[in-house]
Amino acid sequence: MNLKNSSYFRMATVAVALLIAAFIVMILVGVVTHSPPAVLIECLLSEEIQFAIRLSIITSIISTLLCILVAMPVAYALARYTFPGKTVMNMLMDIPMALPPLVAGVGLLLFFGVSPIGKSLAAAGLAFVFTPLGIIMAQFFVNLPYMLRVTRSTFQGVNPRYEYVAKTLGCTDAQAFWRVTLPMSWNGLLAGSVITWSKGIGEFGAGLMLAGATRMKTETLPLSLFLNMSTGKLEYAIAAATILIMISVVSLYAFERYGGATHVY
Amino acid sequence: MLTIDSVSKSLGEFSLSNVSLSIEDGEYFIVLGPTGAGKTILLETIAGIYTPDAGRIFLNGREITDVPARERKIGMVYQDYMLFPHLTVEDNISFGLKSHRADPAFIRGKVQESADLLNIGHLLHRYPGTLSGGEQQRAAIARALVMEPEALLLDEPLSALDVKTRENLRAELARIHEATGTTIVHITHNFEEVFDLADRVAIMRGGDVIQVGSAEEIFRKPNSDFVAGFVGVENLLRGTGSSDGTVAVGDLQIRAENAIPGPVSVAIRPEEIQLSKAPLSKNGRNVVFGRVDSVRPNGGLVKVSVDAGVPFRVTLTRQGFEETGVAPGEAIYLAFLPSAAHVYSSEEEEA
Repeated sequence: MNLKNSSYFRMATVAVALLIAAFIVMILVGVVTHSPPAVLIECLLSEEIQFAIRLSIITSIISTLLCILVAMPVAYALARYTFPGKTVMNMLMDIPMALPPLVAGVGLLLFFGVSPIGKSLAAAGLAFVFTPLGIIMAQFFVNLPYMLRVTRSTFQGVNPRYEYVAKTLGCTDAQAFWRVTLPMSWNGLLAGSVITWSKGIGEFGAGLMLAGATRMKTETLPLSLFLNMSTGKLEYAIAAATILIMISVVSLYAFERYGGATHVY
Repeated sequence: MLTIDSVSKSLGEFSLSNVSLSIEDGEYFIVLGPTGAGKTILLETIAGIYTPDAGRIFLNGREITDVPARERKIGMVYQDYMLFPHLTVEDNISFGLKSHRADPAFIRGKVQESADLLNIGHLLHRYPGTLSGGEQQRAAIARALVMEPEALLLDEPLSALDVKTRENLRAELARIHEATGTTIVHITHNFEEVFDLADRVAIMRGGDVIQVGSAEEIFRKPNSDFVAGFVGVENLLRGTGSSDGTVAVGDLQIRAENAIPGPVSVAIRPEEIQLSKAPLSKNGRNVVFGRVDSVRPNGGLVKVSVDAGVPFRVTLTRQGFEETGVAPGEAIYLAFLPSAAHVYSSEEEEA
C-alpha cells in the first residue's frame, strides 16, 4: 500500500468532513446559546411559546395519524397490486413532496377558499382557511408523500409469500394483512411516522398560506419563530427555534434507530 | 384425489400451458423441472393464490378452481420457510388453527402433536430467526400439517439446506408421508429427491408437463431429449428405427427394448454399459467394439468416453473401473442389454 499518497487523500477527505460537521454544530449551538439560559427558560415558559408548542404538537400528531391512516391502504395497493394508472398514480403521489410548500399552500387556499367543494365544507362547519384545521390540512398534504414512500417500501420489503401462506392457513386478504404484513412492517411504519411527525412540526410554507399567521390562533412553532423574528422579539424566536432543533435531533435519532431495521425480513 | 384439468396461467415471465395432472389419494408426487419451468406457479395455482386463466382443479371430488385459498384445505411450504418472524414457533404452528377460532386447549394439543411429529417439540418457545434452516423447515411443515390438509404442497423444501440436513429431512419427509398418509405434491429441480420419496414423477419444462411416470420409468425410459438430459442419460444416439426393434446408428445395429420405426433416439444410461478388454459374447446383448477416448475420475465414480464410430459414455464405480484395467487409447468392448436401450421418436422433439 502506498501509505504516503493514500494518507494525503485520506487527510483531505476527512478534513472536509470535519469542517462541515463543525459548521453544522456551530450553527445549532449558535441558536441554542444565543440567549442567556434564564431568558431562554423564561421565553419557553411564556404563554405565547407554550401555546405554539401545544398547537404544534396537537396539529402534527393529528396530521401524522391522518397520514398513517391514508398511507396504509394506498401504499399497500401500490406495493401489492397491479391496476391501470398505477405508474401515473405513483408519480402523482410524490408531487406534493417536490412542490415548494408555498405553492402547495396556494393550491390548498384556492381549493378550500373559493372552490365549490371548499365552500360547501366551510358551510358544513369544516373551515380550513385561517384556522388550526388548516394547519392540519397543510401538514397532511405536504407530508403524506413521505409517509407513503416509507410505507410503500416497507410493504414491498415483506415477501408476499408470507401472505400466501397465511391465506392457506385460513386468512382472508385483510386478515393476512393484519396478522402478518402489518406486524412485520412495524419498524418501517414507526420510522415513517416519526419522520412525518417531525416534518409536520416544522411545516411552514403551506401552513402559512392556508392557515395564515395569526398570533395565538394559528401560531405553530415555525410560525412563532417567523412572527417573533419579524417583530424583533429575537429571544422568543430563539426559544421556538431551540425546541424545533431538539425535536429534529430526537426524531432523527429515532428514525435512524428504527428505520435501519426496516428490511430485516 | 387432486386433479388438474387443462390449467393455463400466465404471469409475465412464468407460465403454465394446458397442464393436466392427476394425483392419487395419499400419493407422493414429485414435479421435477429446471428453474423457470413454472413449477412454483403450478403449486400456487393449486393452493389458490392465483386463479387459472383456463382449466379446472378438483380436490377429492369438489371443484376448487374458484374457491379461495383459505377454504381449500391445502397446505403450502416454501423453500425459504416463510415462518412469520414476529411469532414464536408455537404461534406459527397454531396460526391456522387460530384463524378457525378453535378451542385453546385443542390448539395446544394439536400444536404439540404436530411439533412432536417433526421433532421440534423443544423449540416451541423460540423465534424463527434463532433456528437453523432445517429446524425452520420442520416448523414450516408442522405449521402446514397441523391443519390436516387434504393435500400438502412443498415448493423445493430441501433446496435451501446443507447436504446433511437435506438428507435427514428427506428421510423425515418419507416418514411423515408414511405416518400421515397425506397427499403430497413436492416440486424440485434435484433428481436425487425422486428415488427416496416419489411414487410418481412429472417432468416440467417451460410451463408444460412433458412426461409423467414412476421414478424408474422417467429414469430409464425418457420420452424426449430434454427428459433424458435432465435425468442424466448421457448416451443419446440418433438413428433409424425399424419395427423389429433394431435401430441403425451409423454402422451399428442396436437392439432396443421397444420398436419405433423412423427417425429415433436411443437412450442408454452410462452406468448400464459394461466394459471389457476381452471380447464379450453376445448372449442377447448388444456388443460394440471401440477405443477409449478419455478416463475422468468423478468422486467415487469413473467416467469413460469410448469412440465406437459413435461416442459412448460409460460410468463405472472406481472398483469396477480398476477391474477392467483400461487406459486411454486402448481397444475395448462395450456391452449392454436391449432392455437398457430405450427408443423414442426424435420427431416428437419438434412439437
